Amino acid sequence: MHHDQGIHLRSVCKTYRGRGADVEALRDMNLDCAPGSFTALIGPSGCGKSTAMRIALGLEDYDTGEVRIAGHPPAAATASGVTGVAFQDAALLPWRTVARNIALPLEVLGRDPAKHGHEIAKLIDLVGLKGYETALPGQLSGGMRQRVSIARSLITEPEVLFMDEPFGALDQIRRRQMNVELQRIWMESGSTALLVTHGIDEAAFLADYVVVMHANPGRVVEIIEVPFERPRRNELYSAPAFHALCDRIAKVLHGE
Amino acid sequence: MANRAGFLRSGTFRNLAILILVWEVVGRVDWIAGGALPGLSEILIRLWADRGDYPGHVWATVQASVLGFVIGNLVAVGAGILFVLFPTLLRLTRGFNIAVFALPPIAIAPILVLTLSGMAPRITLAALGVYFVTMSATVVGLSQFDTRAADVVRAYGGKDWMVMKLVRLRGAVPDILSGLRIAAPNAVLGAILAEFGGGGRWGLGTYLLGSLGRGDPARLWGIGLVATLIAGLSYLVFAVISARTLGSSRSVTLNTAIPDADDGAERSLPLRLAVIAGAALLPFFLWWAFIKLTGVPDLIAKTPLGVLDYLFLSDTSHIARAKLLAALAETLPITAIGMLAGLGFAFLLAISARMFPGFIKTFMPIALVTQTMPLVALTPLLVLILGRGTSVTLWITISVTFFPAFVLLVQGIQRVPQSVLDLPRAYGASAWTELRMVSIPAALPYLFAATRLTVPRALLGVMIAEWLATGTGLGNLLNQSRGYLDYGMIWTVAAVSVCLSVAFYYAILLIERRTLTRLGMQWVE
Repeated sequence: MHHDQGIHLRSVCKTYRGRGADVEALRDMNLDCAPGSFTALIGPSGCGKSTAMRIALGLEDYDTGEVRIAGHPPAAATASGVTGVAFQDAALLPWRTVARNIALPLEVLGRDPAKHGHEIAKLIDLVGLKGYETALPGQLSGGMRQRVSIARSLITEPEVLFMDEPFGALDQIRRRQMNVELQRIWMESGSTALLVTHGIDEAAFLADYVVVMHANPGRVVEIIEVPFERPRRNELYSAPAFHALCDRIAKVLHGE
Repeated sequence: MANRAGFLRSGTFRNLAILILVWEVVGRVDWIAGGALPGLSEILIRLWADRGDYPGHVWATVQASVLGFVIGNLVAVGAGILFVLFPTLLRLTRGFNIAVFALPPIAIAPILVLTLSGMAPRITLAALGVYFVTMSATVVGLSQFDTRAADVVRAYGGKDWMVMKLVRLRGAVPDILSGLRIAAPNAVLGAILAEFGGGGRWGLGTYLLGSLGRGDPARLWGIGLVATLIAGLSYLVFAVISARTLGSSRSVTLNTAIPDADDGAERSLPLRLAVIAGAALLPFFLWWAFIKLTGVPDLIAKTPLGVLDYLFLSDTSHIARAKLLAALAETLPITAIGMLAGLGFAFLLAISARMFPGFIKTFMPIALVTQTMPLVALTPLLVLILGRGTSVTLWITISVTFFPAFVLLVQGIQRVPQSVLDLPRAYGASAWTELRMVSIPAALPYLFAATRLTVPRALLGVMIAEWLATGTGLGNLLNQSRGYLDYGMIWTVAAVSVCLSVAFYYAILLIERRTLTRLGMQWVE
């Protein structure tokens, strides 16, 4: 196994033992994300893509296999602050301002938020929320809340960035705008990114590699390389080569 | 929408004005029980004439209420946090918690007066009145946290205490505040009840008791109004605080993943039995420890064993038992009948609320005001109107069970989603069919919850009426025993009434869980 700054899952198995029926969430899951790469994990509901990410974050245990995040086991990696995370729902604390929500990971990691005022201001600017530093989440739109969540995931200057359908709650138009911005933010950060999604065009637009998963049991069936130049622009959505790639991903998804 | 809300409010004001006018006219012409209901102006004139008396009494009651409120809530929030961190502790103290909730304050007021001195009995009773409400609110608030926000904290290596600090404690604030709001009038009620039982010179309870024999309805009404005002204001203060602080801090999206309560189902049977036995014995142990710690002599303070000895082993046991059974035979039937009538009436009115929406809109504010009205203030007034017969006990029981049950039921039925109501209507169902298919089943869990929650209130209401007015049953036995210095009987009545309340509570809980589980419905906490 490589021990570099990337994400590595080796032969990971995970079974949920419920009452009566056991659910095999992951069987022999292998995943390698090279340092600085952008990987999208795509598959139908229940294929274990979110479980794989939660295991990588140390939020779930796994039965067998090995997991290394930036060279460390998940718990050690997250506790040392090398990871960043954005969930499907922004999951902001409703009583904290934008700036204090972004500072939350620093508090969890025992760092002094007061010393990071400059970084927080820079991130608010980066996600285009200048002037909203003291707003509460309830006063923001869905898209703005999601930007706060992205800014929060970057505050620790993570080497590894996890995103679980970060724009799942947004409409198609807003999502495409956010994808362009996410690409820009990620390119500036230079981190290793893992995106869980069920949007084919989102995966093809953002990722260097699209990892396709199937359910029952959850497993990787194919890894598709995305050849398009960066930075990718909105015009890419209309390019024939882009459509051909999306069709190929869809075929693999449907098991053809 | 703003226009409509304004219209509704003006409607409520209009109804209130009509009510006050009717009250004034009826009072002035002495229609009810030969002037037992004076007009509002007569009450206010009397209040003005007595203005020299009030400051001292109000100050004493407020002081005891506030101190009890603060102490009781500090203990309650602390206990709530401990219970959430260590669920076994919650199961172990369940017996104690239910006993605190179900105990009729009037039954233990004389005990507290015997064992503690000065302001302590009043403060203790006020604190006991707020403990359960705030403790439950804290536990509920801390248990139903946003799991997504907790995941963010855990994803950065945050441990349980970090989740508690950053997510759960602040998230529980709205629940704790609504608990405080409900608890505040309880503190006032507790303080006044303790004033009834113990000699002191000052306090609204003392004033009320002293004025009872003077046959001056206007003064009794005045004291009742002042007590209601204090309780209502305390409710209002916390209602305003929660509205102010919570406006913008509610969760912005609905969390579908609320953590399951840990019911400890997978643990071993012997351990569970040990916890249940511990929970049942803990209240008795605390009782015993309380007496040993206060150092009150055995003659005055009875331990659980002392009560057993008094009831079964001593020379006079058979007399004590006969007195107790005779009192129970008077108290229990009237409590049961009153409760059934109150609950039945509330149920009928609540499920038919959809047919008379205008009536409910007028009635709800009145019903809510009675929630903050201290029972003790109400009782003498009903005595004035209804006399000292059995009917007064019955009416008190009906009124103390009817209003809370009605409020709970209406709020429960209002939670039925509009789409569920639209479905039968879309198929042309009559009002009766809609009632049978939607409203009645929807109200059932709330009827059970209301029954469970009003049992202690009903018993309290009957005992207050017996103590103050009718001279029968448990309440009278308690009052008499105080006069005869029959300490064994005081402790016995207190213990028996608390045990009865707890037993009823559990009996209803059992029926409730069985029925609702069979119907596949969720119960209401």
